[in-house]
Amino acid sequence: MNNLIKISLLFCALVFLKPTNSSAQNAKYKCMIQMTNYMGEGAYIVVSLIDAKSQYVKTLYVLGSDKKWYNSLKEWHKYYAKKPSNISAITGASLTGGDRSVSNIDIEKSKINAGFKLRFESAVEDKEYFVKDLEIPLTTETLSAKSEGTGFIRYVRFSPN
Amino acid sequence: MTKTLWRYSHLTLAISSFLFLLLAALTGIILSVEPITQKAKIYGVHNLDEVTVADLLPKLKAKYDEVTTISVESNRFVQIQAIDKSGDDVKAYIDPRTGNVLGVVGKKNEFFQWITTFHRSLFLHETGRFFIGLTAFLLMLIAISGIMLTIQRQRGFRRFFSKIHKDGFSQYYHVVLGRILLIPIFIIAISGTYLSLNTLGILKTVKESVDVNLDLIKSAPEKKIQDFAAFKNIKLVEVESIEFPFSEDVEDYFILKLKDRELAVNQITGDVLAESKYPFNILLTNLSLDLHTGRTNILWAIVLGISCIGILFFIYSGFAITLKRISIRTKNKYRSAECKYIILVGSENGSTYAYASAIHKLLLKSGEKSYLTALNNYGIFEQAEQLIILTSTYGLGEAPVNASRFIKLVAEYPQKQNILYSVLGFGSRAYPDFCKFAFDIHNSLSKQSWIKPLIDIHTVNDKSPQDLQLWAESWAQQSEIKLTGFPELKIIKPTLLKRFIVQSNSGTNTEGTFQLKINSSGKLKAKSGDLLAIYPANDHRERLYSIGIVDNAIQLSVRLHHDGLGSGYLNNLKAKDLLQAKVLKNPHFYFPNKASKVIMISNGTGIAPFLGMIDQNVEHTPCFLFCGFRNKLSYDLYNDFLNDQLSKSKVSQVNVAYSRVVNKQYVSDLISLEAEFISKSLMDAAVIMICGSLSMQKDIVKILEEVCLTKTGHPLSFYQSRNQVLTDCY
Repeated sequence: MNNLIKISLLFCALVFLKPTNSSAQNAKYKCMIQMTNYMGEGAYIVVSLIDAKSQYVKTLYVLGSDKKWYNSLKEWHKYYAKKPSNISAITGASLTGGDRSVSNIDIEKSKINAGFKLRFESAVEDKEYFVKDLEIPLTTETLSAKSEGTGFIRYVRFSPN
Repeated sequence: MTKTLWRYSHLTLAISSFLFLLLAALTGIILSVEPITQKAKIYGVHNLDEVTVADLLPKLKAKYDEVTTISVESNRFVQIQAIDKSGDDVKAYIDPRTGNVLGVVGKKNEFFQWITTFHRSLFLHETGRFFIGLTAFLLMLIAISGIMLTIQRQRGFRRFFSKIHKDGFSQYYHVVLGRILLIPIFIIAISGTYLSLNTLGILKTVKESVDVNLDLIKSAPEKKIQDFAAFKNIKLVEVESIEFPFSEDVEDYFILKLKDRELAVNQITGDVLAESKYPFNILLTNLSLDLHTGRTNILWAIVLGISCIGILFFIYSGFAITLKRISIRTKNKYRSAECKYIILVGSENGSTYAYASAIHKLLLKSGEKSYLTALNNYGIFEQAEQLIILTSTYGLGEAPVNASRFIKLVAEYPQKQNILYSVLGFGSRAYPDFCKFAFDIHNSLSKQSWIKPLIDIHTVNDKSPQDLQLWAESWAQQSEIKLTGFPELKIIKPTLLKRFIVQSNSGTNTEGTFQLKINSSGKLKAKSGDLLAIYPANDHRERLYSIGIVDNAIQLSVRLHHDGLGSGYLNNLKAKDLLQAKVLKNPHFYFPNKASKVIMISNGTGIAPFLGMIDQNVEHTPCFLFCGFRNKLSYDLYNDFLNDQLSKSKVSQVNVAYSRVVNKQYVSDLISLEAEFISKSLMDAAVIMICGSLSMQKDIVKILEEVCLTKTGHPLSFYQSRNQVLTDCY
C-alpha cells in the first residue's frame, strides 16, 4: 500500500515534470523584423503560431508593451482575450517606421515541418491593421530565410541560434 | 490699441484652451516626476564620454554568446539585449566599463505609460492628438501675448525684470511668476507643438536607413573589433544604439545609430560601409523630445514640473482677475438720458471700477439718479448736471483701454447744458507718469466752455484711503451730498477731532477777508499745504481750509461769505476760543524738497499755504510769488509779512495783480507775461504751485498748456504727472 502511494507520487511528479522536459525540445531562433519607412505612431506586432486550420496555438512574441492597444490587433486579441497568458517575458517595444528589431523566439521542435504556420500581425493606431502582414509555413527552410512582409513589415529574417 | 489686442487675445486664447491646458498641465506635473524617479536609480554611469565603442564591444563579445543590441538611453543607462552563455535571454542595464550587469530592465511603469498616452491624446486617438497639439500651439500664443503684455505693463523691454507694482494677489503673482515661467512655458509650448505636428504627420519626418551596396562589401582584411577605426573614434555618449550583425555572414553588418547620423560598419574589416546624416527634422524632433520631457536632465525635468504647476496657477489667477473685472460692473438702474450724475470710469484692471461702483451705489442710495459707464461711452447726457470722472493711467501715461477715445469724444459732443465735473486720478508714485491721463482729462475739459470744474483734480496714490477721503470730502462739500462710507473707512467721529485754541483773529478788512491764527492744544502735526476740516454745525457738514504754518501756528486766510457756514463760524472766533477740527494730510501740495525754484501762484485767500511755506523756507529755495487780489487793501493784510520775508530772502520776488482797479489785471495776466521764465524754469526742474479758485486755475492751466507745448515741447500733463505742477484749488 505504502509502495503504491510512493509509485503514484513518482508518477504524478513525472507527469508534472513533463512540460519542463518538453521545453527542452524547444529551439531558439533569432528573428529580425525590418519595418518599412512608414510615418506615424509605433506599430504593434504579434508573432503567433497557428495550426493548419488557421487557429491560434501559441503567442510567440509581442512587440508593443501597452495592453491598451492590444485590441487593435483584432484577430489575435480575440484569441488572447479568451485565453490570456503571461506574455511579459516575450514582450518588447513597439517599432516605428524604419526600425528593426531582433528578438529570440522559442519554437517547439515538434511543430516544425508539421503543417503549422507563423503569422505576423501588425497594426498602427488609427492606421491599417494587417492580419497577415506576413504568414509563412513553419518549416526548416523558412526558418533560415528572408521573407517579405505585405504591410508595415518590410521583411523578416530567421536564423537558428 | 495694440494693448487691447494683446489683452483680448491673451484672454480669448486662455478661455478657449484652459480645459485642455488644465488636463495637460496636471498630467505634465505627474510626467515630470518620471525622469526624476528614473534618475534616482543607480544604473546611470557618468563617464560615457570616456568609453569608446571599441572598448566595450570586445568585452561584450567575450561575456555573451550573442549580442543583439546595445542602446544608450537618454538618461544615460546602457542597456543590452543578448543571449548569455547558458542560452538565456538577457535584457539588462550594464556597466559599460566592464560589461557587468547592473540591473534588470523592468517593465515600463504602466501608470506613467497611461498618463503619457492621456497627455498626448486624451485617449481620443487622432482627435485627441489634434486638440492637444492645438492646445500647445495656443499656449505658445498665450505665452507670446503674455510677454507683450508684460513689456507694456513694465513700459519697455529693458524694464522687463524691474520691480512690479503690487496690485492685488492674483494680479501681482500672475505677472511676477509669469515673467519667470514664460521662458520654460514657451519652450514647452513650442516643443509640444513641434512634436504634435510630427505625430499628426503634418511634418514629414522619415528616418532613412543607411543604404549599403552589398556588391561592394569586402571580406578582407580581417581585423579585430577593438582595432576598428570607426569604433575607436566613437564614444558611448554619442551613441543611441548599436545593432549587431544578424549573422556572421559578411553581408550582415553593424548598424550604429548616433545622435546625428547612422553608420553601417563591416563586421569583418571594420570599414564604414555607409553613413547617413539625419535630416534636420529628426534632430529637431529629438531636441523637442529632450526639452518637452526632461528625459536628459533632471534639473530641467524639475523646471518643467514647476512650470506645469505655474500653468495651473495662471489658470486660477487669470480667471480670478477676469472675474473681478467682470463682477464689479454694476448694472445701471436708470437710462443715461435721465440721470443727473454721470460717473465715467477709465480702468485697466477694474480696481478703479470698484470705487466708481461704490460711489454710484451711494448716490443711488441717497435718491440721486446716477449713471455709471466707461469713459469711452461718453455721449450726450440730456439731464446731466455733473460728470464724476475716475480714471487710472496705463503704461507711459496713456489712457486705459476703455478711455482711449474720451478726449476726442468730449471735443465732438459738447453738452447742451452747462455742467460741472470733477476728476479723480488713480495711480502709483512708483511710476514716473503718475496720473498723467487724469491730468490730460482735467486739462482738456478746462478748455471747454460748457463745463466747469466742481472741485480741483484729485489724485490717489496706491489706493490711499486718505487721498480718497480727501476727494470724497471736497466733493461732498460742493455737491451737498454726503458720501457716507466712501472710502470704506471708519466714519470720523467727533472724538477723532482735535482741540485747537485760537491765538488771534485779524478781523475782516474792507474786502471781507480775515486771518485766523490757531494753536494746537498738543503737538502741532500739520504742514503748510494741509487742510483743516471744521464742522461748524456739529453735523456732517464739513468745511476745508488751506493751512499755512507761520511761527509754528496754523494760519488760515478766510474770506467771509454772506451766510457762509464755515467762514461765518470762523469769523466769530476770538482769541483763546476753542476750536474742534482735524488736520487732513495733503502731501501732494507740500513744499517740494528738491526743486531748482518754486513758482507760487494764488488768488485771494489761496495765498494762505504759501505764506506758511515761505515762512518755513529756511533752505532759501528761490521762491517766486504771483498773487492776485481785488485791490491794494486786500493785499495789505499780507504786505508787511511778505516785505519781511523778502528782506530775509526767503522769497525772491513778489508780483501782485489787482483785478478791481483801473488798470485791472488778473494773476493769469502776470503769468502770460512771464511765459519765457515759466518755460525755462519748468525745463530746469522748477515746481509750480497753484492755490486759489478753480476759475483762476482754469485760466492758468490754459496759459501753461500753451507755454509748455510751444516752448518746452512737452504737454502740461507731462509736468503735472512729474509733480512739477501742483494744484490745490476750490
